[in-house]
Amino acid sequence: MLAALAGSLLLLFLGAPVAELIITGGAGGLARLGRDAELRQALLLTGMTATTATVLGVVCGTPVAYLLSRSEFRGRAILSAVLDLPLLIPHPVAGIALLLVLGRDSAVGSALLAAGLRVVGSPVGIICAMLFVSAPLYISGAREAFARVDPRYEAVARTLGDDAWRSFRRVTLPLARRGMVAASVVMWARAVSEFGAIVILTYNPKVVSVLSWDRFATFGLPEALPVAAVMAIIALIPLTLLRALRHDRSMTVSS
Amino acid sequence: MIEVHGLSARLGEFELRDVTFTVPESGYGVVIGPAGSGKTTLLEAIAGVVPARSGEVQLAGRRVTTTPPDERGAGLVYQHAYLFPHLSVLENLRYGARDESTVEELVSRLEIEPLRQRDVRSLSGGERQLVALARALAHRPAVLLLDEPFSALDPRRRARTRREVRALHREWGFTALQVTHDFTEAGLLGDVAILLDGGRVLQHGPPEQVFRRPASPYIAEFLGAENVFAGTARVLAEAAPDWLESDPAALAHGYHAIEFTSGPLTLYTVGNAGDGPCYAVVRSEEVVLSLAPQSTSARNLFRGRVVELGTLGAFARVTIDVDGTPLVAAVTTRSVQEMGLREGSKVYATFKAMGVHLC
Repeated sequence: MLAALAGSLLLLFLGAPVAELIITGGAGGLARLGRDAELRQALLLTGMTATTATVLGVVCGTPVAYLLSRSEFRGRAILSAVLDLPLLIPHPVAGIALLLVLGRDSAVGSALLAAGLRVVGSPVGIICAMLFVSAPLYISGAREAFARVDPRYEAVARTLGDDAWRSFRRVTLPLARRGMVAASVVMWARAVSEFGAIVILTYNPKVVSVLSWDRFATFGLPEALPVAAVMAIIALIPLTLLRALRHDRSMTVSS
Repeated sequence: MIEVHGLSARLGEFELRDVTFTVPESGYGVVIGPAGSGKTTLLEAIAGVVPARSGEVQLAGRRVTTTPPDERGAGLVYQHAYLFPHLSVLENLRYGARDESTVEELVSRLEIEPLRQRDVRSLSGGERQLVALARALAHRPAVLLLDEPFSALDPRRRARTRREVRALHREWGFTALQVTHDFTEAGLLGDVAILLDGGRVLQHGPPEQVFRRPASPYIAEFLGAENVFAGTARVLAEAAPDWLESDPAALAHGYHAIEFTSGPLTLYTVGNAGDGPCYAVVRSEEVVLSLAPQSTSARNLFRGRVVELGTLGAFARVTIDVDGTPLVAAVTTRSVQEMGLREGSKVYATFKAMGVHLC
């Protein structure tokens, strides 16, 4: 009884602020989309940078996730710890760390600048910040998805004439697909909601999270509320997608 | 041909150690052993999906110890089938199939026509095994590795499938290695039996030899020999006794007569064992029961009392007490009825000297 009460209180605590935000500012926020060009641009930028970061995370993170789920090798524990690091450090700290490596005064940053690629104060910086804080979530989810596929499916495919890549493509990938899609949705949602690292690397152009902070700091709550409400609604899209994916998870990957 | 020499492989905490045996070209090997003895790991190491730590594997005359699984020409059928759940039954059958006609032939011969359009996830365990078997055969491997492939089939279907696999084996000429828990199956299918325990080969050879002449009392008991006696052997020094001379097989092997004593029991046997402590194994099907002493050439004759009688379909397991030592006989249920046996009945048990194996 006490546990049920405690659980209910926690659920209320988690759900009520978001519900209140959408109820109070949702209609105003959606109405403002038509006349607020800065908000529309911020939304477009957020969507594009989060999607680019997610694509990069999936392309580069999938081999790492597969390696971690299947192979025992020296340094595996260190690699896992390195991948967990961005999840554990405060995000402004992550932003400062990225600035040290990618800033104009750093070796990498100045080399990229010389090659015509500006990181700090550009969408590239936003993508880097998003990738840094959200890729570990994709790798962790994809690793679990691969771990749920019994390696004996691959073994059978190999004895039926498939080389390692072909068995991965024809068997492992289709069986892990749902878990990988779920992990990439989580990564995308995390990228969209990132603020701390982005604000250090690229304040302008503004993504939605930075814009809501900017409006709050400059004009106060009434101006920030519609922007924050729109962002909350966007955050509900991946949440709904995830629910749908989990509901439809009837496919078994065991024998 | 499957030639394994000094093979060691590790999977998690389990280790396969120094495994050596040969299954001749187009032969049929059976691997038997208790659960957790390494049977599946052995097949996986031969298929190349578990790497060898040391030793050598040769398939069809080719060294394949470090060759990737897809280049070994070995098919692998797991007990749990591992049908690809994202593909239909037909797509599973076509996966790696040499050609469509092979798929059609196997669908017909293994009687899986009604399963073609079924969803893989709706198949029973036995149906999955049949599809997995057909899928592996459709690739036309030179070597087929089978891990208890008939275990989920009902007895009638199992017998039919076993016959069909044996027929395909003869016609297509592949070399097979099958893991089984079923000793009857091992005897019916195998040209070579490999007994595995704790990751090591305890004994290998023709099934008849492994079953009749187990290398140790542990093997004998594992293989279902119920009469295993610890005692002392003594070579009979006199010239070959008449009961030895009457057995041409014994003489052909150059065996001598041996007296074996275990408590109140004295058994006579033939073999090449010397004097000293050892074990005697008498398979229960070698023991013949009668109500009166029989005048046969059987050298070992004992009088006892029935202490336990269990029937299982057409066969009965009768335990008789011989001066305090239990002796188990496997006889037909009809014999039990004809003799009117029940607990307490007095009976005579006889078995030939060649039916006693010392190890």
